[in-house]
Amino acid sequence: MRKLTLILLITSLLAVLSFGALVSAQEGEPQYAGLDKDLAGITIKMLTIGGGQYEAMYQSLPIFEEATGATVEIVTLLDGFEIDKKLVQDYATGAVDYDVAWNHTSFMSRYVGFVEPLNNYFSAEELAAFSPSIVEAATIDGNLQLIPRHADISALHYRTDLYNDADIQAKYKEATGADLAVPTTLEEVDMQARFFHDNGYTKYGYSIVGKEEAVTGRFYEFLFGSGGNYFDENWEPIFNNEIGVSVAELLRGWYADGIIAEDTPNLVWDGDAANFCNGDVALKLEWYGWYSYFQTPDSCPNVAGNFGLARGFSGFQNEGARPTGWAGAHAFSITSASQNKEAAAQLIKFLTSERIGYEEAQLGFLPVRDDVWNRIISDASASGVPLDQERLEVARVQITEDFKTPPLIAEWIPFSNLFYPHLQAIMLGDVTAQEGLDAAAAEARQLLADAGYYDE
Amino acid sequence: MLLPSFVFIIIVTGFPLLYSLYVSFTPYELLKPNSLIFELPKALNNYTRLLNDPVFWKSLGNTIIFLTVTVNLEYFLALGLSQLLAQVTRGQAIMRTMLMIPMMFAPILVGFQFRWFFNSNLGLVNNALVSLGIIGEQTRIAWLVDEPLGMICIIIATIWMNLPVMTIILLAGTLSLPQETYEAADVDGASAWQKFRFITLPLLAPFTYIALTIRSLDVARAFDIVRIMTDGGPARRTELIWTYAGRLAIEDTKFGLGSAMSWITVIISVGFTVYLFRQLVKSRIVE
Repeated sequence: MRKLTLILLITSLLAVLSFGALVSAQEGEPQYAGLDKDLAGITIKMLTIGGGQYEAMYQSLPIFEEATGATVEIVTLLDGFEIDKKLVQDYATGAVDYDVAWNHTSFMSRYVGFVEPLNNYFSAEELAAFSPSIVEAATIDGNLQLIPRHADISALHYRTDLYNDADIQAKYKEATGADLAVPTTLEEVDMQARFFHDNGYTKYGYSIVGKEEAVTGRFYEFLFGSGGNYFDENWEPIFNNEIGVSVAELLRGWYADGIIAEDTPNLVWDGDAANFCNGDVALKLEWYGWYSYFQTPDSCPNVAGNFGLARGFSGFQNEGARPTGWAGAHAFSITSASQNKEAAAQLIKFLTSERIGYEEAQLGFLPVRDDVWNRIISDASASGVPLDQERLEVARVQITEDFKTPPLIAEWIPFSNLFYPHLQAIMLGDVTAQEGLDAAAAEARQLLADAGYYDE
Repeated sequence: MLLPSFVFIIIVTGFPLLYSLYVSFTPYELLKPNSLIFELPKALNNYTRLLNDPVFWKSLGNTIIFLTVTVNLEYFLALGLSQLLAQVTRGQAIMRTMLMIPMMFAPILVGFQFRWFFNSNLGLVNNALVSLGIIGEQTRIAWLVDEPLGMICIIIATIWMNLPVMTIILLAGTLSLPQETYEAADVDGASAWQKFRFITLPLLAPFTYIALTIRSLDVARAFDIVRIMTDGGPARRTELIWTYAGRLAIEDTKFGLGSAMSWITVIISVGFTVYLFRQLVKSRIVE
């Protein structure tokens, strides 16, 4: 009996110790990576994005320098579009004198051939830490172009004070015969946006950006969400088919009927977000990055604490319809011209490690690593604001399941530049949807033909 | 001693010009170094493509309208202002300094400022109109979207910023005119309008042509303000020749096409400048 008691005691003790070890492993400090090689005497030059919270991670560079003996020199800090212009010029003129360069899933196709494929620098285990959808999206012809730093994707933002109002719910039921619930299809979004606007609950029903790559991307979301696409597998433009026309007609109708703002064709991200912040909009797709702005009463008193988040809705219910999810990820690459590629890879491992990712996530960026997701969702559950946690849970689902980059071609931005004026002309009523999209398709085909996409 | 200067000018000015002329005959794209190839049968491709490009013609037409309206309006306003300023006997230096203030702003800042003024939802202009009851909350004007309001807004911003230049030139001209002529006209009983019409205007002609030439070339190069206020849009409604060239060359990295467009524009500008200088010479001969 004493022997049995002793065995039980030892077993219990071992169980407690094992559980404790497990807990401490999960709750322990997030770890850095890339510190395991001696890089003494090597200077790693980096061209990267700057401004605001983007620069917080660079304050950790002394830790990398101290552990490896390397020196890290940040050549230039620029915003996303400016850095793209510099990279294009440097790559084209052979003026690259840096080892690590900023990259982005929306721009990476322009840099193919100028950055080093990363497959050989990162083990399968290291890559498994990142969201597979992003790694897959960042792979062109089997070559991994970048290692993601953080991501962004749009969620449906909707006004809970409107959706939870019993009177509005009753009136909606009376007007449409349907229950007022967070929409999951573009048809429902259309119906609800019109209802809120037509009945004067909000100044506009919906809000959308109206120019540059921003509107090309938003149209793309509605298009692929409805089962369509810009190009087929042979890179022939197909956006002027029935699906494309129906999406363009929707936007044209929204503009004509005042469902979206009268200056929509001139709106980019800040103006679009301001419409929601002002309380002028009932629902819209919006990037997660605006979350803290919308939640701050001093900035957005009309919506702070009065909005909810949901996964992107599906497009028109055609075959192949799926949730929206135009997404992108800021990232790092090694330049082909680098003389210190191994050291550059170590620096990227450090900058995309669990520890740095966690620190960035605490600033509001969406993580790209599972271990970081677990940590920040756990942190958010203790914040006292249910939406803090809900936001991250929705975002994680979206990043995992809905992440979709623009077409991976170097001509994406030139295509966008020729496409969006036609879309604007359609919205403004200068041309019909079919005329505008046909004209854009003809120009897009010429663009891709010039670039050698067709055997002609 | 002329040789070093000549060589310097050739290197600094001539080489980039000739190089861009060469590039304009190639399909060069910035990210495709191998595309910088001159092939005689394809040498004029960029030019023929542009001449068949409706956006090119639209942007050229917009530029001509923008240039004509802006420079003429600016001239008449500057002429009026300069005549008023010329009458001021006390505090003219302070007024001249105040007049110069808009010139001190970077065009990009002026663009941001006027973009905010004309923002349909938050802008100063619409809010003022709503407050005064001239328009309703639901009938706000989309200043930067509507045609031709978008172009008019850009013209207003451009004139606001550049009016001082023309005013100062015309004021300097007015102050340098010989007073004896006016005194003689007074003796002959000429009215103020007759003095302005038959003395001031003809004598100011050289200054007018210089001011018009400088401003025309400047306005034709308009980029920053347009880029910020409308970026040539929406739907190309305010696309000008340089915003389109910038989009082709910088954003789309099509340097060959962008260079061809720049050369067409330069040729038009040179022709226009030659015309204005001929008018200047004629006005001096009359004088």
